[in-house]
Amino acid sequence: MEILIYGAVTSAIYAMLAVGFTLIFGVARVLNLAHGSFYALGAYSAYVLTTLAGLPLWLAALLSIGLVAVFGILVEKILIRPQRESQLGVLMISLATALVVEQVLFLTFGSEYRNVPAFIDTKFNLWGVDVAGQRLLTLAVAVVAIGGLYAFIQFTRLGSAILAISQDPLAAKYMGIPSDRIFSLVMGISAGLAALAGVMAGPFLSVQPSMHLLPIVKAFAIVVVGGLGSIPGSIAAAFMLGYAETLVAYGISGSWTEIVSVLATLLMLVFRPAGLFGKRAAF
Amino acid sequence: MSALLEIRQLDKHFGGLHVLKHFNMTLQAGEIVGILGPNGAGKTTLFNLLTGFIPADSGEVMLHGKSIRQMKANAIVGMGMARTFQLCRPFIGLTVLENVLVGSLGPRVKHHDLGERAMHLLSQVGLADKAQQASESLSYGDLRRLEIARALATEPELLLLDEPFAGLGSIEIEALSALIRQLHQQQHLTILLIEHKLREFMQLVSRVVAIDFGEIIAEGSPSEIVNHPRVIEAYIGKQNPLDWDPHA
Amino acid sequence: MKTFKGLDAVSSWAGLAALVLLAVMPVVFTSNYLVGVLTVAAIYGIWSVSWDFMSGLTGRENFGHSLFIGVGAYAAGFLNVQFGLGPWWSLPVSMLVAMVFALVLGFPTLRLKGPYFALAMLSSAVIMQRLMLIFWEYTGGEEGIQDITPLIANHLHYYWFVLAVLGIVTLLLSWLAKSRWGLILRAIRGDEATCLAAGLPITHYKILSLVISAAFAGLGGALYAHYQLQVSPQLFAVVTSITVITMVYVGGMGSIYGPVGGALLLTVMTEGLRDFGEWRLMVYSMLLIFILFFLPNGIIAPVWHKWRHKGQQP
Repeated sequence: MEILIYGAVTSAIYAMLAVGFTLIFGVARVLNLAHGSFYALGAYSAYVLTTLAGLPLWLAALLSIGLVAVFGILVEKILIRPQRESQLGVLMISLATALVVEQVLFLTFGSEYRNVPAFIDTKFNLWGVDVAGQRLLTLAVAVVAIGGLYAFIQFTRLGSAILAISQDPLAAKYMGIPSDRIFSLVMGISAGLAALAGVMAGPFLSVQPSMHLLPIVKAFAIVVVGGLGSIPGSIAAAFMLGYAETLVAYGISGSWTEIVSVLATLLMLVFRPAGLFGKRAAF
Repeated sequence: MSALLEIRQLDKHFGGLHVLKHFNMTLQAGEIVGILGPNGAGKTTLFNLLTGFIPADSGEVMLHGKSIRQMKANAIVGMGMARTFQLCRPFIGLTVLENVLVGSLGPRVKHHDLGERAMHLLSQVGLADKAQQASESLSYGDLRRLEIARALATEPELLLLDEPFAGLGSIEIEALSALIRQLHQQQHLTILLIEHKLREFMQLVSRVVAIDFGEIIAEGSPSEIVNHPRVIEAYIGKQNPLDWDPHA
Repeated sequence: MKTFKGLDAVSSWAGLAALVLLAVMPVVFTSNYLVGVLTVAAIYGIWSVSWDFMSGLTGRENFGHSLFIGVGAYAAGFLNVQFGLGPWWSLPVSMLVAMVFALVLGFPTLRLKGPYFALAMLSSAVIMQRLMLIFWEYTGGEEGIQDITPLIANHLHYYWFVLAVLGIVTLLLSWLAKSRWGLILRAIRGDEATCLAAGLPITHYKILSLVISAAFAGLGGALYAHYQLQVSPQLFAVVTSITVITMVYVGGMGSIYGPVGGALLLTVMTEGLRDFGEWRLMVYSMLLIFILFFLPNGIIAPVWHKWRHKGQQP
């Protein structure tokens, strides 16, 4: 039972990270290695706004998400877009950006772990399992956020524009869809989702400058398993990975969870590079 | 005499689209055959299937009686089938000569001095004087010749040319046509080429296979094809009919 | 007409002169500190050259080079401390270990187009770093493996040894790059589909070049281990990979010799930035961004190229 709940929470966080990652790839063909930085900045921003600026938590959270979203848009516009010709140029510049962010965080806050306050401090008891309220809230928020995103894409005009661009960027352009603005929007959403994950998970996951790396590794693993560019794939794979890690943590030991993602990635690449739901194969 | 190339019931879907429908064709050694069809008919897909760049759903392709359908692209080149591409893709950053040299590094070439052989190929296609130029700086017509030289460098028996005349002016088309004819005679090559305009290869080919929507609609000599009702029907409404000149 | 040129005379003499100059410098300036800096610079040079051979030529950028560096270094550490073998065993073993990793990682990822290779290498390096920390009972955790015995006790002599290795590796890889091997790798960078159409098994070549790249990276790692006399998980950090990549960019990707200059330049610069302390890594990352935007062809190789071909018309 514990596994069921904790697995769900982990999966939810991974899903928020992976969906944003795959979204910006599906739409703009950008593999953003600074995605983890948005996660980190979300957590740190919440920390700063509550601890140092004394704002109420809910306000700090909203502001953090907004700030990071704007930051994401700026990064996309200034740093990534000029490199868009070369996919590797994008990788390089986003990685360099991630490192600069890491260094800034390190220089400003030092390398000790920081405490981000939780929304709900109490523990709940679900079906005989003690769960921190924050974790449950994270799960709920993730469901709402991703559900909202899905609804947005399926049912609004803007959402259809996004879908169109991801399927055929050139055709979309000819139909007058302003792709550059859509890229910015998608980047903002992607960064915002990652920041949300950081804000929600900050209280119970580690907050230190290099926290951006593992999310990238996991997001990549999830996206490979689920299929690059497929949102349902990312969600499915996020749950698979989340539960696989939780099982490993309970069954073997917490240390081995890291290997799960790398193994999953390599195995998938060997046997089915397109992933489970991948639209385009890697060939 | 068994055929050089045999295609049997070759079939391919892209999602819901049935791009190639149980395609059958044979090619004898020494022929020059043209595949004619409007855009979207499935010609380039056929080439990609034959050369191993995309996998077929079902069917059989036999080169010299050996099945090559499941083989990898570079292995098929090793069996003697080379191709050019519709959109010329030279190796960026390499000179003209180096482009041809890369073609000579494949499994079929037993020559000792590859540089000399590459220069020889370049002079055959008329690019010898441009050997040290950057390949990206070539004109479109020259790029086509480079493609052919590179394909020839692999020592093929069967050469597949994908829309070699696309984008060329009439003088260049004449010259390229003459070059292809010359290579066919001198090197005893079998040639299969794709075009969507009949005029270009009327003089060049001995047999035409016309396709539309992934299946063969007519087969015969160029003059037979020109007057074939189904072929005419396939082209009306798909292209500018003025492009279509049965008496060219 | 000779087609596959070997290294031409001017370049060879220039390279030799540079080596001699480097060897002599610490003797002239009699400074142990200088010897130390130059040794590290030379090792970075080996790492940079090895990266350039694979990624610079094929254009498939390896974001996890630190993995090969780290496993080479840790192999040296294990062999020396845990198994008590003499330090000279480290050299071949570290190369072998790195090559095995390259095979295992390269096979699934290099077959595929797109970013899978770059990202998988990055992920693997990150995971390796975590693993070194997680299995601290075996690896020494944060502190790593200590008390490694040096290969050559005398610092100056060790420096000359490392310099010699750098020279040999650069020569070997330059020669390979100018041979038909290098031609194929550059063609892979140009257009993979056309390479296939030319009958070349490109995946084999990509994997093979990664293995070679890894071998020398691991060798450099072992040399580093026997210099620092300790290895820590920091070697696996992304920063190591980025530093190497920056050095290659500064030197000029694909030139093989350029990265050596890049390594020297940046190591010396880093020492100069010592006062900045914690800001060093930040400066590196910003430098990389700057170069990506304004100097994608690097500094050293283009300058050398221009100087050499001053009189000649293209």
